[in-house]
Amino acid sequence: MTLHRFVVDAAATAPDRPAVVGPSGSLTYRALDDRANALASGLRARGVGRGDRVVLWADKSPELVAAMQAVLRLGAAYVPADRAVPAARVAAMVRDCAARAVVTGAEAVPRLSDALPSGTHVLDLAAEFAPPAAPVDEAVTADALAYILYTSGSTGKPKGVRVSHGNATAFVDWAVAELRATPADRFANHAPLTFDLSVLDLYAAFASGASVHLVPNELAYAPRQLVDFLHEERISVWYSVPSALTLMMRDGGLLERPAPDGLRAILFAGEPFAVDHVRRLSGWTGARLLNLYGPTETNVCTFHEVEPADLRRDRPVPIGRATCGDRVWARRPDGSVAEPGEEGELLVDGPTVMLGYWGHPPHRGPYPTGDLVRVLPDGAFEYLGRRDHMVKVRGHRVELGEVEAVLATHPDVAEAVATVVGTGMESRLAAFVLPRPGREPGVLALKRHIARRLPRYMVVDEVHRVAHLPRTRNGKIDRSALAARAAGPTVPAT
Amino acid sequence: MSADEISEKIGSYIRERFLDGDLNRELEETSPLLEWGVLNSMNTALLLMFIRDELGVAVPPKGINAGNFRDIRSITQMVIELGRPQQATVAGRD
Repeated sequence: MTLHRFVVDAAATAPDRPAVVGPSGSLTYRALDDRANALASGLRARGVGRGDRVVLWADKSPELVAAMQAVLRLGAAYVPADRAVPAARVAAMVRDCAARAVVTGAEAVPRLSDALPSGTHVLDLAAEFAPPAAPVDEAVTADALAYILYTSGSTGKPKGVRVSHGNATAFVDWAVAELRATPADRFANHAPLTFDLSVLDLYAAFASGASVHLVPNELAYAPRQLVDFLHEERISVWYSVPSALTLMMRDGGLLERPAPDGLRAILFAGEPFAVDHVRRLSGWTGARLLNLYGPTETNVCTFHEVEPADLRRDRPVPIGRATCGDRVWARRPDGSVAEPGEEGELLVDGPTVMLGYWGHPPHRGPYPTGDLVRVLPDGAFEYLGRRDHMVKVRGHRVELGEVEAVLATHPDVAEAVATVVGTGMESRLAAFVLPRPGREPGVLALKRHIARRLPRYMVVDEVHRVAHLPRTRNGKIDRSALAARAAGPTVPAT
Repeated sequence: MSADEISEKIGSYIRERFLDGDLNRELEETSPLLEWGVLNSMNTALLLMFIRDELGVAVPPKGINAGNFRDIRSITQMVIELGRPQQATVAGRD
């Protein structure tokens, strides 16, 4: 099975059912199928074919989802980019993955064309292409590349995670079976399409002939609007980072209205969910609550359904056991497999593990997640923390070294340190910047500098200009002192 | 409230909350807020609450799009349109 067959099949059996619903329009399965075919034909006429990459730079919309399908139908892979990132960042992605074409909004075409390598085609997402004589439906194998998601690396250069059709469908098939999804389901899509959580929303919906309802990125943390969305769109399956659910409970009045009748599953992933919030959610709705786990490199590889016993503990709910056909185990520092009660690094092997990073040799063998876990008495895993400096900000993972490396390339910056302050909903990415003598880099200039080079979620929330960086006795930057300073009142520039 | 006053309030909020006061006075009415990473989805949500609480305008979901939140000028324009007595023309442009 491939990620585009789901739509082809649903369009054949239930063409008039809604497939994608966006804030300003929707597409039935037939319309999604037609639009994907037409754009695929337009891309093919420009030389895009099997094995190519196409960057999609646009706001979330049904048309964008159709473009993802169009690329897949050619046997090519799509590379999503947030529409809010600057053209320079998109051009860097195009160069990095040697994309043959970019599909974007008409207004962006002129700005982008100058920045791209010559020979890169730029297509207008809204353009109407003539339908092809025959449907475009390249046969691709399960190990063919389906999409690349850029994620934080440690060197100042984002890494492109290569995911195959087989990697994604192993996860989608599990989700459809576990959720017992039907055409009557209405999936919410909260995550940006650049984030792997969105894979479940789109493709579990398509695999079951259901509809997916898009939350625009700008609305993703607007609490009241999210609660209205849940009710008005009559969502049956919700999936998001816990931060969004926390915000909906705290500021959106989620629990003050009765739970929608149709809501039958709430899925969350990307960061630990404080158990008192899970308790409140569980007291509000009879919907199933599922905690999903997996870095971008492995899709979802474990899950745990919240049960009454979890609510009596004071720890976040476990990340659970292996799923999607994966094997998952904890490795102790001496290399042996951790037994119940012991701790170790979580390793994953199986069908959902990525092909590898773009531009690097193929990945082989188990993927070491860098996540520390404890093995519970029943064999399930409990998340403990990270082995390294990688941190999470509202579910997005951030290599602090990457942010620091990019800040240090600014001409006014002598040295920079990045850190995360706060936890969960309140977590913020903060930078401490030591300017070069006589320079005073502005906050806006520094944010813009990062935004041109890194994914949007890596743009720092706060910038503190400092006269010196505190160091520990052995000469390392004292990160805890900086974090404590950021947690206090905002430090005026010195 | 005049357009200038609305623009000034929104600009001040963005400077104080998201730019540590913008001591170098870099922010302009046409600085692209989404593109330069000033407004991420979390900050957009905070700004929405400010617009509701301080300017008395509730932005409907259809109004929350990249076009309306591009810069201070477009946000100001949206607030003015939504604040008119008859809210027939919802700011839903792209």
